[in-house]
Formats: sequence, structure tokens, C-alpha cells
Amino acid sequence: MVCEETDLAAFWAAERLRSRGLPVEVVTGADLAAAERWEHRLGRSGTTFALTFAGGERCLHSQEVGGVLNRLSFLPSAWLLRIGGPDREYAIQEMHALYLSWLHALPGPILNRPTPQGLCGNWRHPSAWAFLAAQAGLAVPLYRQSSEDDPAETWQAATEPPLATVLVVGERIIASPVVPEDQHEACRRLARAAGAELLGINFTPVAGDGWGFSGASVMPDLIRGGEPLADALAEVFV
Amino acid sequence: MMVADALGAVGADFRVLNQRQIADCSFAWHIEAGLVDGTLRIRTETFRLADIRAAYVRLMDDQLLPELADEPEGSPARRHARAFHDAFYRWIEVAPADIVNRSDPQGSNGSKPYQAQLIAQYGFSIPETLITNDPNAVLAFQQQYGAVIFKSMSGIRSIVRVLAEDDLNRLEQIRWCPVQFQALVPGTDVRVHVVDQDVHATEIMSDTIDYRYARRAGGTVELHAIQLSSDVEEKCAALTRGLGLIFAGIDLKVTPSGEIFCFEVNPSPAFSFYEANTGQPIASSLARYLAKIQPA
Repeated sequence: MVCEETDLAAFWAAERLRSRGLPVEVVTGADLAAAERWEHRLGRSGTTFALTFAGGERCLHSQEVGGVLNRLSFLPSAWLLRIGGPDREYAIQEMHALYLSWLHALPGPILNRPTPQGLCGNWRHPSAWAFLAAQAGLAVPLYRQSSEDDPAETWQAATEPPLATVLVVGERIIASPVVPEDQHEACRRLARAAGAELLGINFTPVAGDGWGFSGASVMPDLIRGGEPLADALAEVFV
Repeated sequence: MMVADALGAVGADFRVLNQRQIADCSFAWHIEAGLVDGTLRIRTETFRLADIRAAYVRLMDDQLLPELADEPEGSPARRHARAFHDAFYRWIEVAPADIVNRSDPQGSNGSKPYQAQLIAQYGFSIPETLITNDPNAVLAFQQQYGAVIFKSMSGIRSIVRVLAEDDLNRLEQIRWCPVQFQALVPGTDVRVHVVDQDVHATEIMSDTIDYRYARRAGGTVELHAIQLSSDVEEKCAALTRGLGLIFAGIDLKVTPSGEIFCFEVNPSPAFSFYEANTGQPIASSLARYLAKIQPA
């Protein structure tokens, strides 16, 4: 498990996976920020990495990793808070490049693989999600944007939690019972099109009858999935 | 403008959207029932987005446009420019047209070691690489491979340099932030421009480590058009496609023994330098792709 130390959903998932007999090591952003030694190699012999954490006794070697629940969306907050000076932006770019590479090199199943647009999956613009969702067959409200708009408005977080969420883990669906089953295959198609092994898809009621797509996240609230989600995650890593 | 000239030469019906004239342009797009459409106004002409079949995109950061240099933060002109570019950028990502190149596929170039892992999947050799903040690991790497270079990992350009005595004296500084080191690969630089199925290979002869800065360093650089084997051409085309790109500038090095290393795939290559020095028809390839003209 790779996550920020404030990610309660991640710690919940780690505890549920341990209760199912999986040996889970949690590596937090604070751990990574304080890592003493980094070594990442690429070449004829393949790709490896080795991290030595603060204190020198705890290490993480790529060959010892069996699978990862990846909840690190960007560089660790603890590291970002520590750096400054005229080279700060350069250091951020360099470390982001390194994180993208070593996370990509992790062996075994990874939920979700890092992308250049987000270290735990592609953080798409709402328009990109709307397009993919419509292509997947979900009911999507009209999306409009123009040169008269404020671009920042489209990125504003919802003020209310979603009324219904479908969590997709591979081919498994963990859905709120209000979302009809005939939407489940479209949800799988959306996750596949998005390249996300783990995806949270939000729905809101639409006029008349039914539920419409209202957003998606590669870093969903895992707690909403409860024990069925924990079962689905365990299946991936067994 | 080389591409515009080439489009004119093939009789294509095209327009140039000049970012510097954005104040006289407007853009509106929508997604409805899964279909993408809208309008683009360039000064006095208005076009339906669904009628746009292809686009060659080389956007600069709109916040750096010279026309906005004297505009305060939040001015109407800046707001319009930002809103236009954001809407246009979002449309490009999903437009049902041939876009050279969409933005998301270009992202791999922001991390050279990440991109190298993708490159290796297409049959190219990649340099022996060590990224570390441990000076002792660097010294051992240099001991193993002899000549070692260091350069940036990210999209921020750096001049490739050989690890020299002076650098060893300041090696302790890497403890603050890991640095990328690579075994120097001997051989000849080859830049390959791929446009869909068209492959243009340019051999670069230079007496400097980084030919891009040869003249600045007082060195020499000569460019020659060459023909790669069909096997290597196919690998270059497959790599470009596999990264989700239509157009790419691929940096290769061919060793004296014939091994082919790939260092980078540039998703927005500045190809004019190569075409100007060799006459290779890269702009023409782009124009024919955009205008959907099959080779004779």
C-alpha cells in the first residue's frame, strides 16, 4: 500500500486486507519523503529499485513486492513542504519523473498503474470523463465549454458527496443497489477505456427515471465499498 | 509555417489558428449524446468543429504570449486567452479528428526513465541507467561502465555532460535530490522523424557529446539523410503508434557493432533544423497525413 498518511480509506483497506490473511506493508508519503537512499536501475538486466527509509533498517526492494494498492496521486506532501529555493520547480519535475518511473516498475498487480497525468491513474478533466462515459454507454449530461467560461470552474470539487457510486475492481462490480444492474457492463467498459483497474463511478438521479453519470475517480473512497470491496481487492492480490 | 507551406503545395483546404491573434477568435464546444461538436471562429470566419478532419497542434503557453506581456493578472484579455486555450485544449483530447498530437500521449516524455521502460518493449536497447542520491553508487557505476554521462530525468531540458573530475568533487550534492546517470553509449546519433507510416532518418555527425549544443560549444555538426533497414523503420513506426502518437522525433544511437539504442521519443519535435539541413520532406509527410493524401 502506497498512500499519504492522511488517507483513511487506504488504512481501512490495509486493515481489511490483513484480516483476510494478506501481508500488507503500508508505505506513506512521509516515509518516502524521509527516505535516505534511492537507487533505480534500468538496462539489459531489466528495471529495479531499492529504497532505504529513515533509520536505515527498513528497505523496499522491487523484487520483494508482490502487488500494490497505489493511492499516491502526486509527490508526497511531506516532501513538497520540505523543499524550497530557486531550484524548487526543477526538483519537483525531477522527482515526479522518478516517481512515475519507479512506480511503473513495480511488479505484480497494481491498482492503479501510474500515468504521466496522475501517479495513481489518469486524473482526467471532467470533459474527458464525460466523453469516455458516453462512449461506454452511460447516460451523460450535456457538457459545454467555451472561450467565455472560467476554466477553473470545471475543476471545482462537488460540494455534496455522490448519491450513488459504483466501484469497479477489474471485472468485479461493487455497486450501490439503487444503480440498475444494466449499468454494470457500461461501468466495466468505462474502467477498461480509462485504463483503470480500480475506478469509482458516481451517479446522480436524472429527470424522469434512472441514474446518470456525474463523475469518476481513480482514487475512490474505498470505505463506501465495504466488505464486498475488500473481498474484490483481496482477489486481485492473492 | 513549413507545414502550412506544404499544405498549400498539396492544395489542402486549411486554416492557421495563430495564438497571437486569439483576441479575435472564439471557441465553443460540447458533448451531447456522445457526439462532439461546436464552433471555432478565427477572426471573420466561423467553422463547425465536426467539419474539422485534422489538426497539427504546436501550442505555446498562452500565459507567455507577447500580446499579453503588459496585461495584469485577471485582465479580460488574459481571461479570454486562458478560457480559449483551455476549451480548445479539452476539445483536442476528444475530437473525432486526426490530431497531431493529442496531449495525453505526449506525457511519457516528461519522465525519461519511465519512457525508457516503454521504449524497451519495442525491441530497442536502452542505456544502462542509474538514478540515485548515493555518491558511492555513482562511483561504483562509473567503475563498472567507464565513461558516464548525467542529464535531467524530466521534460526540463539539460545539456548532456560527461561525469568529470570536477563533478566528482561535488557528488555529495546529489544526496539532496536523485540524479540520472547513464553509461556513455558510443556510436552515431540518428534522429528519426516518424509521421504515421513515413519514416525519415537523419544521421548526425558531431564532435560534441550533445550535438544540439555543438555550435554553442565551439564544435561541429553535420546532418545527412540515411535509409534505415525496414526492420528498424517498422520498430520506429510501431513505437510511435504504441505511445499513441502520429508524429514523433526518435533519438537513436547506432554503435560500431550495429546495436541500436533509443534514448527518447519526442512527441513535439522541432523538425525544421533537420529538414533545412537535409531536404528531407518531413513537412510534406505531415501535410499529406493531415490532408489524407496517399503517397504516389
